[in-house]
Amino acid sequence: MKVLAAGVVPLLLVLHWKHGAGSPLPITPGNGTCATRHPCHSNLMNQIRNQLAQLNGSANALFILYYTAQGEPFPNNLDKLCGPNVTDFPPFHANGTEKAKLVELYRVIAYLGASLGNITRDQKLLNPSALSLHSKLNATADVLRGLLSNVLCRLCSKYHVAHVDVAYGPDTSGKDVFQKKKLGCQLLGKYKQVIAVVAQAF
Amino acid sequence: MLLRDCPVISKRKPESMALFAVFQTTFLLTLLSLRTHQSEVLAEHLPLTPEALKVSVNSAQQCLHLQWTVHNLPYNQEFKMIFQIQISRTETSNVIWMGNYSTTMKRNETVHWSWESELPLECAAHFVRIRSVVDDARFPEWNFWSSWSSWQEVNVQDSTGQDTLFVFPKDKLVEEGSNITICYISGNIQNDISCYLEGEQIHGEQLDPHVSTFKLENVPFIRKGGTNIYCEEKQRKAISNGTVLFVSKVLEEPKDFSCETRDFKTLICTWDPGANTALDWSKQPSQSYTLFESYSGKKKHCEEKNRCNWQITQDSQEIYNFTLITENYLRKRSVNLLFNLTHRVHPMSPFSVQFENISATSAVMTWKVHSLGDYFTLLCQVELHGEGKMIQHNVSVKANGKYLLNELEPNTEYVAQVHCADDNHFWKWSEWSGRDFTTPEAAPSEAPDVWRTMKSGSHNVTLFWKPLSKFHANGKILFYNVAVENLDKPSRLEHRSIPAPANSTELTLDGCSYQIRVTASNSAGASPAAVIVVSAAPGNKEIEEEIIEGTEDGFSMSWKPQSGDVMGYVVEWCDRPQDPLCDFQWKKLGPNTTSTVISSDAFRPGVQYNFRIYELSTKRIAHLLERKTGYTRELAPSDNPHVVTNNLTSHSFTLSWKNYSTKSQPAFIRGYHVYLKSKEEQCQPGAEKAVLPDDTVCCQYKIDNPEQKTFTVENLKPESFYEFLVTPHTSFSEGPSGTFTKVRTPDEYPYMLVHVIVPVVICVVLLVCGCLLKSQWMKDKCYPDIPDPYKSSVLSLIKSKENPHRTIMSISDCIPDAIEVVNKQEGSKIQSLGTRKSLTEPELTKLSYLYLLPTEKNYSGPGPCICFENYTYNQAASDCASCGHAPVSPEAPPSQWGLLTSSENLLKALEKNYMNSLGEIPAGETTLNYVSQLASPMSGDKDSLSTNALVPPPCSEYKMQMAVPLCLASPPPTENSDLSSITLLGPSEHYR
Repeated sequence: MKVLAAGVVPLLLVLHWKHGAGSPLPITPGNGTCATRHPCHSNLMNQIRNQLAQLNGSANALFILYYTAQGEPFPNNLDKLCGPNVTDFPPFHANGTEKAKLVELYRVIAYLGASLGNITRDQKLLNPSALSLHSKLNATADVLRGLLSNVLCRLCSKYHVAHVDVAYGPDTSGKDVFQKKKLGCQLLGKYKQVIAVVAQAF
Repeated sequence: MLLRDCPVISKRKPESMALFAVFQTTFLLTLLSLRTHQSEVLAEHLPLTPEALKVSVNSAQQCLHLQWTVHNLPYNQEFKMIFQIQISRTETSNVIWMGNYSTTMKRNETVHWSWESELPLECAAHFVRIRSVVDDARFPEWNFWSSWSSWQEVNVQDSTGQDTLFVFPKDKLVEEGSNITICYISGNIQNDISCYLEGEQIHGEQLDPHVSTFKLENVPFIRKGGTNIYCEEKQRKAISNGTVLFVSKVLEEPKDFSCETRDFKTLICTWDPGANTALDWSKQPSQSYTLFESYSGKKKHCEEKNRCNWQITQDSQEIYNFTLITENYLRKRSVNLLFNLTHRVHPMSPFSVQFENISATSAVMTWKVHSLGDYFTLLCQVELHGEGKMIQHNVSVKANGKYLLNELEPNTEYVAQVHCADDNHFWKWSEWSGRDFTTPEAAPSEAPDVWRTMKSGSHNVTLFWKPLSKFHANGKILFYNVAVENLDKPSRLEHRSIPAPANSTELTLDGCSYQIRVTASNSAGASPAAVIVVSAAPGNKEIEEEIIEGTEDGFSMSWKPQSGDVMGYVVEWCDRPQDPLCDFQWKKLGPNTTSTVISSDAFRPGVQYNFRIYELSTKRIAHLLERKTGYTRELAPSDNPHVVTNNLTSHSFTLSWKNYSTKSQPAFIRGYHVYLKSKEEQCQPGAEKAVLPDDTVCCQYKIDNPEQKTFTVENLKPESFYEFLVTPHTSFSEGPSGTFTKVRTPDEYPYMLVHVIVPVVICVVLLVCGCLLKSQWMKDKCYPDIPDPYKSSVLSLIKSKENPHRTIMSISDCIPDAIEVVNKQEGSKIQSLGTRKSLTEPELTKLSYLYLLPTEKNYSGPGPCICFENYTYNQAASDCASCGHAPVSPEAPPSQWGLLTSSENLLKALEKNYMNSLGEIPAGETTLNYVSQLASPMSGDKDSLSTNALVPPPCSEYKMQMAVPLCLASPPPTENSDLSSITLLGPSEHYR
């Protein structure tokens, strides 16, 4: 729980921080006040698309860096250890409306951001010398944060959606090292798969 | 069993010992007084069974912590007790460990004890029970085992799902090389599960249907991030779970632990830490190091892994006893070091190194040292490096050091350095401190090595000298001075200064003897002079060259001294004899030396080197003693001679290779081999059969004289093909297998034609040309012009006597009345052939008259005939006999003469000229036609004549007259012969 408080909770606070933070978010999208701290970028969708393309372009490299750093049996048993079997991963429907897709994207990014934070924390302990993996994880988390902000801005400015319910992955802080390695690998495999679909959908 | 690593928490109350000591006497009295009562208790067999047994688990350390108490202990005093503990696994009947634990305890005191399991506690349920006995000599009556406590079950992994798989232990820290047991717990007993360690399958044993255990022995260190162990369910084809084993390297004992001081303020302790045992995931940090000094009792945690500084206090502690302790989570090690501080002095580097009074051969070196106190003396070592050599000197120093460096070389760069150590108790040298310096130049110490070459037949002397070695030059040579002194007549010294680095100069001298002195100069002065004398009569007589054998190491040669009074010997040669500059070399040897080995890096195999050995007289005059030549290694000739074929006949030809130089070959040419291929199986005498490298057989002629460069191959067959090859041979090999040259011997007949017929034809042509050039002379001599009848004396006679108007006598006017035939005797004919003079004799002049008389047989009509004499003809005929050429008609050109070589041609030519003669005569002017005397009497001719307008009268018969040379004479004509009328005439013969 300490790790959860140190890793996920601050991340969520940062992700959801906005002017007037501390007040409860409106439950019903569209009805409550929806204000952004800064005006949204005029070409917001293009920026979102570019960020998705950027994530899609680096997802496979991140995946490879990760499973390589875990040692055997990971690199040679990707199907058995790193299959995208993440049951609670938020769904995404590429054929929905833009609003629906943005809402689903928001949930996906929030889920990924939290999970990536856990993975980064674990890998810094488990593989302190895997600097390139740490760098890639940090860079991906940075882009995810920016993307989440942009999606929220779009939802708020165009669709007046001020709040989206999100779900997060399982807390890995209490799990053993092998499970952390395996869950991280599965998550990154899922991320690689999903981000390709999402980037294509926008 | 594994009790050592689990923390044993059992502990007596601390006040019991104190109370026991203070009230010992009281206790004994009390004990005695209670004796009776105790006997009563024992009699009742009080239950001393351990109670309140509690078992807790430390999964990470795989330990069971037990705590219990014994309530029924009598009295509130300590008892020495033994507890027997039983541990079962899976079920109570499966006792896997049983042991005793002795301790002292009081009533209601809680006892703690731990047990470490080799199997992860999650792998199976464990059961524990305890019983006790009083092991106290004071109470022998209580010395019996109590009843067992009830079993306490320990079940860490109490719930297993149907599809779950667990692997234990989790994230265990172990040391490299240790043994460990792992297990998996599977919820589904039907699954076929295999487990792997870094990809290698491991094999275990089944503990129960859900649990299998694996004993890993001597586990290796693979990576700091841990070793992955995982189990795969074959049916699901999935790796369900695994664990990470953090294997630490074994903590090593620090090596080379040492402490020293440089300033008596700080002790610097260093060591070799060995391998780092840190692991990722914060499982284990790097091993720590702690320094503990036993005398002072101080301890210091070292920040660095391989060194630690210890502050020296001012309490004059001399002896130190250090313990270096290193530890990690798994192990602890230490090393000790006991030393006297004054024996561990490592001085600091000297400083302010200076040089004073630097001369060409000496310098004074000074330096300073950091003071260690008045009682310390330092031993300093001065090292001098220069010219590839090193010299060491030791100096004792208190504060300032000074040392005289002598025997230095001029103009040499030196590096001098110094380091110091404690002179009383040597521990370590300090670091070096040094500087470099250069000594100034001095005058060269030795005369240059001088030699000369003299061109034969001239007075040009080329003077060579070798540059002085650095050892003798004592500086940079700036120029060489050459002084030439005439020894035969007093004259001024001629000086010449040649700038360095030249190594030669050319002198033009006259026929006198000269002494030449050469010195080398640098900025400090000149060297001693090298003296050489060039004699007026060099006396380089012709000396036969001797062949010597060289080796890769050079040429070994010796010579015979000619006179006993010599200064020495000089051997000269060229390192590159094929180059124009030749790289002239020489070697001077002492007077007692009569042999030497000449070696040079420039010597190459296959190059002929020539050596001249001179004897130097006491007057420094050189006389050529011997000449040597040789190769360091002879090579096979690389080229065959270029052979020219001469004098090719049907039976022989000559081979010539005169342009082949035997001097420029890579070996001494000992001769030549001439190989001849032919279809003949047998070789000619002087040749022998030889098999070539291509297995062809040919004849080999051997020439052993290298200067014989022609060879005649004889006894060949005409019109035959031959192939030859000429190759040089040396003492060990011959030239390359070159291409054979083909030769075909000619036919014999054309040879004769060329040598016989051609000269004859040339002679004939020359003769004909001569005759053509002298044609007029020949004409005059052989066939003069026929006289003009109009200019005949007969005409003048008729003209003047009978008819002055007629110019030619008419045939009708001539009335023949008689014909006279003169028969000439054969004897006279032979006689006339014998001598030319007979034609001019008076008695034979009558025979020259030809009388034309009618005969019965040939005369066909009336009419007078005339006869006339032809003096010219007779004369010409007589002349022709001598020139040998046939006369022709007057009009015949000279070119037709050559056709008159046969009788037939002759006739044709005559016929033609005859007809021409007729045609040229005007018909109207002739009542009496004069017909040429060349008229043919043949029948054919008669027919032709009958058609001519100028047909002579029947009475007139013309007889051809001509003369031919004797050499073309035909047999004597007969009466029946058709050629009777053209019978070739001899001198003074008449023909009809």
